[in-house]
Amino acid sequence: MNVTDPHRFIASLSRDRVTLDLNTVDLCFLAGLYLRADKAGLASFDEELLVDMFEQVCDVVEPSAENPRLRATKAIQRLRNQRMLARVDGAQLMRAGEYALTRLAASVVEFYIADDALTRESLTLLTATLRVQFAETLALAKKAETEDDWRAVTGPLRVTVADLVSGIERRQRGLDTQQEEIQAEIARLLSTDWFHAVERCQTLLDTTTSTLRELNEVLLRDTLHFVALLQEIQTLAGDDTDAEATVQRVIEHVDRIAAWGSARLHAWSDYYQYVHRYLRDVVRLDPDRALSQRLRDQLVAWAGRPFYAAVADEPSIVLLRPVEARIERPAVARRRVEREVAPEWVEPVDLQTDLEALVDEALERGATTLAEATAYVLARVPEQARYKSAGRVAELVADRSILACEHERPWRDVIDRLEVEDWQLDSEPS
Amino acid sequence: MRESTFRDLEAVVTHEHFAEVDLMLRRGRHIGRDDGIVYDYLTEALPFLEPFYQAFRCELVHRTDGYFYLLPMGDGLGRRLLSAGEMLVGQTLALLYLDPATLQHGGVIPRESLLQRLSGFFGAETLIRILNPQKRKFDERVAAEEVRQQVQKALRRLADLGFIELLDQRKRSDDRLRLRSALMRFADPVRGLTDASAALERLVQRGEVALAAQSAEPPAVDPDGEEAS
Repeated sequence: MNVTDPHRFIASLSRDRVTLDLNTVDLCFLAGLYLRADKAGLASFDEELLVDMFEQVCDVVEPSAENPRLRATKAIQRLRNQRMLARVDGAQLMRAGEYALTRLAASVVEFYIADDALTRESLTLLTATLRVQFAETLALAKKAETEDDWRAVTGPLRVTVADLVSGIERRQRGLDTQQEEIQAEIARLLSTDWFHAVERCQTLLDTTTSTLRELNEVLLRDTLHFVALLQEIQTLAGDDTDAEATVQRVIEHVDRIAAWGSARLHAWSDYYQYVHRYLRDVVRLDPDRALSQRLRDQLVAWAGRPFYAAVADEPSIVLLRPVEARIERPAVARRRVEREVAPEWVEPVDLQTDLEALVDEALERGATTLAEATAYVLARVPEQARYKSAGRVAELVADRSILACEHERPWRDVIDRLEVEDWQLDSEPS
Repeated sequence: MRESTFRDLEAVVTHEHFAEVDLMLRRGRHIGRDDGIVYDYLTEALPFLEPFYQAFRCELVHRTDGYFYLLPMGDGLGRRLLSAGEMLVGQTLALLYLDPATLQHGGVIPRESLLQRLSGFFGAETLIRILNPQKRKFDERVAAEEVRQQVQKALRRLADLGFIELLDQRKRSDDRLRLRSALMRFADPVRGLTDASAALERLVQRGEVALAAQSAEPPAVDPDGEEAS
């Protein structure tokens, strides 16, 4: 399968809500079916065989489980829902079904069964086959002229070569798992046997190291040769973009295989050195494993009688600044300002009294309307107080005069954008 | 003993690695096999550098575990004592270094295992009191955060001194540590078969460690939460 867009692929998995939920019984059931098919050469299983196999598995895994036939029915349905089992007869309700393990189920079981780890023998065999395959493909490429000829070149590259390279990668993953197991085994051996496990640990370390070194040598030598052959095919492909892209993919695959070898050897080398030192400096010097216990006691008692390790602590060398003439810099200070302002003499302001006097003065001068009186007064009042004073003036005028009020009082301009509704004043004071 | 490749002290101090190694040692760094070329340089230059540093009243210590460090014996060079946090973390890491389970990952452990060990040995409350001796009342959540900070601070100092190497420093949530052989310094008082107190006394006399009364540390607290005199 060639997934061109990983995002779309992941989105489709999410959209379909793909899940895998297998318990131990399910896995054992699948493994039982796989092995049975392998042994008896079965292509499919009838329902009775499935139920029979499930009961056998149940006897081993969960001997106390009740009603195994019902559980078998549910397990079969569960595995069908998860596309582990497929019905292959198409008879629907007509008769009991025939079932087969899907590729997914077979892969899951093979993962647990397969102990295919990369060995010098398997790698040499695989690389030799690959070399032959590449040589044949190169010969075909040299003769290829038409599109069909190139299809004959890329076909084996896509299928046969890809399978062989994937085979190496699968065994590489197997070896990775083996290494992890060896690391866990070394830790377990030392935990249980301590000093007595040193020799066995050393043997495990040395064996894995020599295996990895040999594999890396083979991979380095052969992958260089493969890449050279593939590059030659790529050059011959010229304008055939499809063939060129196919070869490029195989080159990348081969590069990945080579990178695996050196990366694992490097990582293992670090691990080897660390364990080797541990065996020499810790285990061999403390055969009774007393140090851990004594250190544990020291740590627990430390708070009661603390002590502190000493270390050198020399500060960095002080670099003196170059000598320069001393400059008197004025102190930074705020500018002096006289903030206390001396009081000024100002004329008292009593607008109310002033207005009364001015209104009296206006009436004495013969103002006959409110507009005339207001205009006289406001002309003598500061501009900002005129609007407020207009009402006062009207009040004072009303107090001091008899008003002849018309029903519809006219609006008259007084001063600068100010109008009043006018009153006619009688001459007789009130 | 292998013969040194250096002819005299002049060749040692004019070597390209001298300045780097000298600064590392004076800053309290423990130089181990993991340091590669500078460790090899020190191994070669040891016969000349030992008397060189004695002139500064310091001892250039070479441990069979595979590390060097400079130990000031007088007031020629500055020296400091590790803090309570650094001592606790250092001893716990030394214990983890000895644990075969650590081997599985080549001496690399997650920071969480350290915190679990510390908390397992002392309990959260005692740990809080040891690392924050000034605080008599504390909120559990805030105090736990402070402990984590103190441990992180101690780890950074121990990394500067070459006891450990901090990996994945950018990913704060998943800090991993590589344990180095210099951690065995924390096990010094219990390495011999003699009584631990006598061994501690000898280390005090040599200037390798100082007891609480001699240190400038705040008073430590015993596991019951009472201040030690």
